[in-house]
Amino acid sequence: MGEKKSDVLQGTLDLMVLKTLHAMGPLHGFGIARRIEQLSKDVLQLNEGTVYTSLLRLQQQGWIGSRWGTSENNRKARFYSITRQGKKQLELETENWERIAAVIGRVLRLERQG
Amino acid sequence: MRWLRLWAAKATGLLKGKRLDSEFEAEIESHLHLLTERYLRQGMSSAEAATAARRQFGNVALLQQKQRAQWSFVSPAEWWGDTRFGLRMMRKKSRSNAAVVLALALGIGMNVAVFSFVNALLLRPPAGVSAMGSLLEIWLHSRTSTGVQSYLPFTYPDYAYYRDQSRALEGVLAFDGDGAPTIWNRSGEGQVIQRQLVSGNYFPLLGVHATLGRVISTGDDQPASPHPVVVLSHSFWQRELASDPGIVGRTLVLNGAAFSVIGVAPPGFAGLLVGIAPDFWVPLTSQAQFTHDKERLTNRNAYWLIVAGRMRTGVDARKAQAEMHVLAHQRELNYPDSNKNLDAIVYPATLVPGPYRGYVSAFTGLLLAVFALVLATACTNAASLLLARATGRAREMAIRSALGAGRARLIRQMLVESLLLSAIAGMAGVMLAWWFARLLLELKPASLPVTIEVPLDWRVLLFALLVSLTTGIVFGLVPALRSAAVNAAPVLKEETQSGGLRKSRLRSLLLIGEIAACVVLLAGATLCVRSLMHANSIDPGFDTQHIAVTTLDPGTLGYSPEKVDAFYRRLMGRVLALPGVTAASYVNHLPLGTSREATSVGRHVGHDPDPLLVNVFRVEPGYFSAMGTTLLSGRDFTQQESDSPDAGVVIVNDVLARKLWPGQNPVGKRIALGGEKATSEVIGVVKSGKYRTLGEGPVGVVFRGTLPPARTLVLRTSGDARPLLEEVRRTVQVVDPMMAATGTQTIEEYMALPLFPARTTGLLLGASGILAVTLTAIGLFAVIAYVVSQRTHEIGVRMALGARPTDVLKIVMRQGMVVTSIGLCIGLAAAFGAARLLAPLLYGIGANDPATLVGVAVGVTAVAMLACYVPARRAMRVDPAVALRCE
Repeated sequence: MGEKKSDVLQGTLDLMVLKTLHAMGPLHGFGIARRIEQLSKDVLQLNEGTVYTSLLRLQQQGWIGSRWGTSENNRKARFYSITRQGKKQLELETENWERIAAVIGRVLRLERQG
Repeated sequence: MRWLRLWAAKATGLLKGKRLDSEFEAEIESHLHLLTERYLRQGMSSAEAATAARRQFGNVALLQQKQRAQWSFVSPAEWWGDTRFGLRMMRKKSRSNAAVVLALALGIGMNVAVFSFVNALLLRPPAGVSAMGSLLEIWLHSRTSTGVQSYLPFTYPDYAYYRDQSRALEGVLAFDGDGAPTIWNRSGEGQVIQRQLVSGNYFPLLGVHATLGRVISTGDDQPASPHPVVVLSHSFWQRELASDPGIVGRTLVLNGAAFSVIGVAPPGFAGLLVGIAPDFWVPLTSQAQFTHDKERLTNRNAYWLIVAGRMRTGVDARKAQAEMHVLAHQRELNYPDSNKNLDAIVYPATLVPGPYRGYVSAFTGLLLAVFALVLATACTNAASLLLARATGRAREMAIRSALGAGRARLIRQMLVESLLLSAIAGMAGVMLAWWFARLLLELKPASLPVTIEVPLDWRVLLFALLVSLTTGIVFGLVPALRSAAVNAAPVLKEETQSGGLRKSRLRSLLLIGEIAACVVLLAGATLCVRSLMHANSIDPGFDTQHIAVTTLDPGTLGYSPEKVDAFYRRLMGRVLALPGVTAASYVNHLPLGTSREATSVGRHVGHDPDPLLVNVFRVEPGYFSAMGTTLLSGRDFTQQESDSPDAGVVIVNDVLARKLWPGQNPVGKRIALGGEKATSEVIGVVKSGKYRTLGEGPVGVVFRGTLPPARTLVLRTSGDARPLLEEVRRTVQVVDPMMAATGTQTIEEYMALPLFPARTTGLLLGASGILAVTLTAIGLFAVIAYVVSQRTHEIGVRMALGARPTDVLKIVMRQGMVVTSIGLCIGLAAAFGAARLLAPLLYGIGANDPATLVGVAVGVTAVAMLACYVPARRAMRVDPAVALRCE
């Protein structure tokens, strides 16, 4: 099934989608995929289909909402936007991520010294 | 709260499934379109752009499937799909599946049957009792002895003390623990029914209320003036009194005394003891009416009451036990002569009395272990069959995995298939268990006055469900994991023999385990069957045909000794006149039964340096000729010697004669019996036999006269004893209409009791052994046949290169024989250890009987060779041209 893509952690993708919606306002799935591609500068590669799995997950948690609208090139598209609960969750997850990232960073530095 | 929202979302998903599906499809469609447009702008051809877009998006079908799974709970559609597919697969291979299901059903059925006995004896609460959880049995425990003999039931004075003094127990009840036949005067004719004496607080403490009338109360049960009242069991009321609604207030004559019926117990209630189903209950203090023992309520040495107490709220078994220790200690101080070293121990109340529970669980545990092993063998068969099939389905699995089925998905598919098999086997197993349980109950000798209910209740069904589920997972998991680990690419590229080595090694391991289990089971089976053959051929010291026996007890009617003697004399005169009867006599109880009498003997009165403990039987003249016991020397008793309490003559068996007077003629010697002031003269010597159990060593026995009122009549006939039984029953009624004979049976029927353990274990283990051998042979055959079919190509090449058919035969046979011999070695070692557990159940054969082990080894090897030979012959006849072409 094609070349191997570097795995994106499930939770990480959810966090990225949430942050993208928070920063950019309402977006459709294609737009979110472009934004993540742009930001990650090809470091992370993902099957864009998985974005939709993530969107459904977030929607079922009530962290994002969706409505049908028209895209830039006049196509019918579903636009996703972050909810109030989603913003709260984003704060929480961001804090969580930074804490973990800090710990991992410390551990890795420790190893270099040793 | 999060899960609530999630479930709500899923629920809407379930409702709007179709619409969500099409919306999602549209969304993907538009995304792909946008991606394609982007690639077109980068200058790709439209076909290239579409491919690139799809690659970047990933597996659309898989995504849709995941999406659907996310919407739904456990995706019932998928499970249903798996189940339907599994059923279809099963129909395709219906014959081998039927074999697997049958083997599993037998294994599950046997386990469930044994468990239904465990449940009936140890787990099930007594029917109709609401307060079982807070009930504790109390037993007196002698600190100076060990084992089951160290536990004693209560005496009445001890019971009264504990009942009145205990603070932790809300109330203490007592009942007579022995099955107690009573003669009911049914309009002039005696009929034997079962009684139970119970304390006045028995029914109230158990929370049992009468269906009709009232139950016995404390007021009915006063030692000074017991009320002559009786509560009938529901089944007795239905069976014998046609559910007469006006029974309350009527009078029943029981053992010659009038009792008025005050109530009927609720349906199903049969007291607290397994095996005993009383027909009626009477107050404890009215016991003298039945036992004719006026001292029993004050006797501090008569241990006859089973006692249970109900804990107060807030009291647990530990606190109650602590209090019992204190009470026991107080009793020791007050009555050192009778209560010295007597402690009191509590047990949670169940249908089997506490001290005996260990024995029951040990025996049923052994049986469960045996049948678990049989089930394991069946599982191994099923597993190796599925493994073989999984190899055949490697292509299917590879295609599924290439289409995006994950590992978990494949494992689930395979597990659903194996669980389907085990579910069908489980259902068939429950039906078999019902039938097995009936069959096992049939084994119970008719003379054992025990009734056991073995219900298939929810506990048994739950056990069956658990066993079936575990079975399905155990035999399905390994093949499932194996087939899920498929490597798609090589399989799809038509490379054959993929992963063959590892898989066949696993199959070999399974086979080794199966053969080892088979050896253990077969060794156990052979031991038990041989022991049964031994037991059947043991000479009990009397004839086991042409004899009819029956038990009588005019003492229950309160007859005087003169009246008892008159009854027996008249009966003897009548039975001797019956057609075909050649000899008749009375004995206090038959050997190999449940009653015994023992005494010590010596050569001199007083302190004999080495007293011998012997069994005592009390007989009338003609007993030895009626039983067919050989009189070796001397003479039989005369009627006068047998009647007189101080005749001073005895007959001994030759074991005792040899012990006391080795090498001398014992006739005319004097013998001192324990507790007697004068010695007795030995007037005869009879051939020794078996007296307590069939497996016992030589036992010394003294025969003497003076029989008690309860006796067994022994009749010898020239022909078949069966037609005589009805005549005997009628004759008893003619001689005294109030008397009723119990246990009227032929000696063959009587022997069912001593042979019971050997017959049960022989049948159960024999069946398990045969089953194990059959399963193992099938398993071995199937695996070797499969290996041959997999190696057809290789064999063809070998033969084309000049291998002779015998070489091929050797290769195939060697593969089977290596597995067999490893399994055999492990199995023999295990059997050597396991057989020890059987030792107490065996007659005339050691647990590690070398002949048995060698025989089993030879037998298993022979069966294994045959199971390998059939497929190996097929391999021999492989046509190289055909074999090579089929690739």
